[in-house]
Amino acid sequence: MKKRKTIGAMITIFAVLLGILWLIPLIWLIGTAFSVPSFHMTLFPTTSFTLDNIKYVWNAIPFGTYYINTLILVVCTFAVQFVTSTMAAYALGVLDFKGSALVFAVIFMQIIIPNDVLITPNFMTLSEMKLVDTKIGMMLPFYGSALAIFLLRQHFKSIPRALAEAARIDGATTWQTIWRVYMPCAKPAYLSFAVISVSYHWNNYLWPLIVTNSPANRTLTVGLAIFAKSKEANMQWANVCAAAFIIIIPLLLAFFVAQKQFMSSFVSAGIKE
Amino acid sequence: MRKKIALLTAASLLASVVALSGCGGGGAAPTQAAGGAEKTEAKAESADAGSDSKEALHLTFYYPVNVGGSAAQLIENLCNDFNAENPDIVVEPVYTGNYDDTVTKLQTAVQGGTPPEVFVSLATQRFTMASTGMAMPLDDLIAADPDGQEYIDDFLPGFMEDSYVDGQIYSIPFQRSTMVMFYNKDAFKEVGLDPEKPPTTWDEVVEYGQKLTNDNRYGVGLALNSGSAQWAFTGFCLQNSENGENLMTEDGKAVMFDTPGNIEALQFWLDLQNKYEIMAPGIVQWTDLPTQFLAGEVAMIYHTTGNMANISQNAEFEFGTCFLPGGKRQAAPTGGGNFYISNGLSEDRVQAAWKFIRFMTEPERAAQWSLDTGYVATRQTCFETDLMKNYYEELPQAKVAYEQIDIAKPELTTYNAAEIWRILNDNIQSAVVGDATPEEALKAAQEQATEVLAEYQ
Repeated sequence: MKKRKTIGAMITIFAVLLGILWLIPLIWLIGTAFSVPSFHMTLFPTTSFTLDNIKYVWNAIPFGTYYINTLILVVCTFAVQFVTSTMAAYALGVLDFKGSALVFAVIFMQIIIPNDVLITPNFMTLSEMKLVDTKIGMMLPFYGSALAIFLLRQHFKSIPRALAEAARIDGATTWQTIWRVYMPCAKPAYLSFAVISVSYHWNNYLWPLIVTNSPANRTLTVGLAIFAKSKEANMQWANVCAAAFIIIIPLLLAFFVAQKQFMSSFVSAGIKE
Repeated sequence: MRKKIALLTAASLLASVVALSGCGGGGAAPTQAAGGAEKTEAKAESADAGSDSKEALHLTFYYPVNVGGSAAQLIENLCNDFNAENPDIVVEPVYTGNYDDTVTKLQTAVQGGTPPEVFVSLATQRFTMASTGMAMPLDDLIAADPDGQEYIDDFLPGFMEDSYVDGQIYSIPFQRSTMVMFYNKDAFKEVGLDPEKPPTTWDEVVEYGQKLTNDNRYGVGLALNSGSAQWAFTGFCLQNSENGENLMTEDGKAVMFDTPGNIEALQFWLDLQNKYEIMAPGIVQWTDLPTQFLAGEVAMIYHTTGNMANISQNAEFEFGTCFLPGGKRQAAPTGGGNFYISNGLSEDRVQAAWKFIRFMTEPERAAQWSLDTGYVATRQTCFETDLMKNYYEELPQAKVAYEQIDIAKPELTTYNAAEIWRILNDNIQSAVVGDATPEEALKAAQEQATEVLAEYQ
C-alpha cells in the first residue's frame, strides 16, 4: 500500500517536471515578446514591459489578412475533409463492396508518402488547372485525407451492426444512419483528427509559400518566416517571439479551453501525432 | 508515379465535388471559388486602368529576406516606385522565405511552367542556375544597352567577380556583404591595448586574444555552425594561401580543400579553442555571436557588415571595425544575393526585367538600400553620393567594409553549391568536435566533393 503511494507520488512529480519543461519555452516566448529587446538571454525578462514589439510586428506585415486566410484555410479544409472522409470511411468500413479492400489499401498507402514529396506534382497539377496563387488551390490537395479515412473506418467497423440495423428498422435512411448513429459514436475520432488537421494546416509553411504569390492569399506562417528566417545578421528574438505569440495565441487558447476533451478523445482514438 | 498521384488527386477532387453537390452542407468551397474568380477579374480591371492604350506587362519578382521584417517593406516600396515610373510595366514582388526556400519555390515554379521573370538568389547559386537553364546569360542585354559596359564596370570588382559562368555574366550584384572584425575598444583599453590598433595578423589575434580573455570574456569569436563555417573558412584559407588561391577553381568544377595552407587554417581555429583557449569551445551559432559581443562576453568577433546597424545601435561600449587580420596575406570573403533573369522569356519581358534590374541598382537607390539594410553598396558611384558620404561621416566604422572589398574574394562557389557547402561544413564540424584531425577532415571533404563534382567535368 505504502509502495503504491510512493510510486503514485513519483509519477506526479515526474508529470509536474514534464509540465514545467513544456512551459519553459512558452514562458520565455511570452516574456521576450512583451519586454524591451535585450541582448542578454534570460528565462524571465529583465527589461521593462512594452507592447512595441507586438505593434512593430503587427504593422510590418499584413497580419490581419494572414489571420483571415489561415482561418479560411483551416476551417474549409477541415469541413471538406469531414464530409469526404466520413463518406469514404462509411463506404469502406460498412458497405463492404467488391474490391473495397484494394481501394482501402491504395488510400492507406498515401499515409506513408510525406506531403513534402508531393509539392512539385501537386503544383504542376494546380498549374494546369490554373489554380496557382488561389486559396482553393492551397486547400485542394488536402480535401481527401488518408489518415481521416483510416481513423474513421476503424471506428465505424467497431460500431455494432445491430445499432445500424435497429435504426433502419425504425425507418432511418442511409444518411440518417450515418448522421445519427455512426457520426456520434465516432466523435473521439473526429475530434482527434480535427486537432491533427487544424494544427497541421495552421503550421504548414512550405506549401503555402510555394503555391501562393500575392499577400492577399498568404498565411500566418509565411508572415512569421519574414522574422524567424531573417538570420543573416542576428536574431531579433523580440520580434520573432512577438510574431510567434500572435500566431500561436488562438490555438493556445483553444487548447486551454478544450484540453480535457482533447485528451480523452486522443486516449480513446488511440493515436498520437 | 505522377499518373497515380494525378489519379488520386482527381479522385479526391471528384469526391469533394460530389460531396458538395450531394449534401449541400459544405458551402464554403464554392464561395471560395467564386471569390477567386472575382479577384482575377478585379486584377485584370486594375491592370486595364493602369495603362490607357496597351495592356501593361506583368513581371513577377521573387525575393528572399534575410535581414529582418523591414527589408520586405523596402522591396515593396521600391517596386511601387518602379511601377509608378513605368506605367507599361507592373512588377509584382513575391516574398519567398530565405535563400533555400527561394530556390525550392523557384524550381517548383519552373517545373509548373510559371517561373518568375526576375529573382534574387545567392551569387553562389549561379553555376546551378546556368547549368539547369533556370537563368539566362545577360551579355547580349549589356551589349545592347548604350551604357551597358560602363554600368558593369561601375560595380565593385570584388562583387562582380562572382557573376560569371564560363566567361558570361549571369547575375547582377544586389544584396552583398563581406566579413569584417568588430572589436570592443573599452575591453582593449582595460587590458592596456591601443584601441586604435586592432590586430592585423593571426599572431596578433592570438596575442591580443590572450590578453583579452578572462573569466567572463573570450578574446575571439567565430561562428562555426553549419551554413556559416564555410564563409569564415573561405576567408582564413585565402589569408593563408601562397598566391591568393581560393577554395575552388574559377569555373566552379573543382575544389582545393586539402592543401597544406588550408589544413593550417583549420588547425589555427582549433588552436584558438584548445591550445590558446581564447575562443569558446564547441560550436557558437552565427546569430548568437553578435549578441555575445554586445553583452561583452567576446571582445573581437568575425561577422558580417550586415550587423553594423545592430551593433552601432546597441553597443554600450565603444566599438571599432577593421579588416580581417591576415595570415600570409590579408583577404576576406564576400557573400550575398544577386539578380537573375529567368530563361526562355519573350523579348519584351526580358527587356522589362533588365529595366527593373537597372532601376534597382541605380547609384542613389543602391546607396539607400545599403544604408537601410546594412548590405555593402555595390557600385563605385554609390560612394560618391552625398547619402553615402554623410553615412560614413556619422559612422566611420562602416567604411571598413567598402575599403575591404578590394582584397575580398568570392566565397566557396561551385556547381551543386548546396551539397559542396554541406560536405565542407560537416567535415569542419567533425574536426571542431574532435572526431577528426584537420588533415583527416579536409581530406575527407576533398574526396566527397570531388565525387559530387565528377558529373560536371
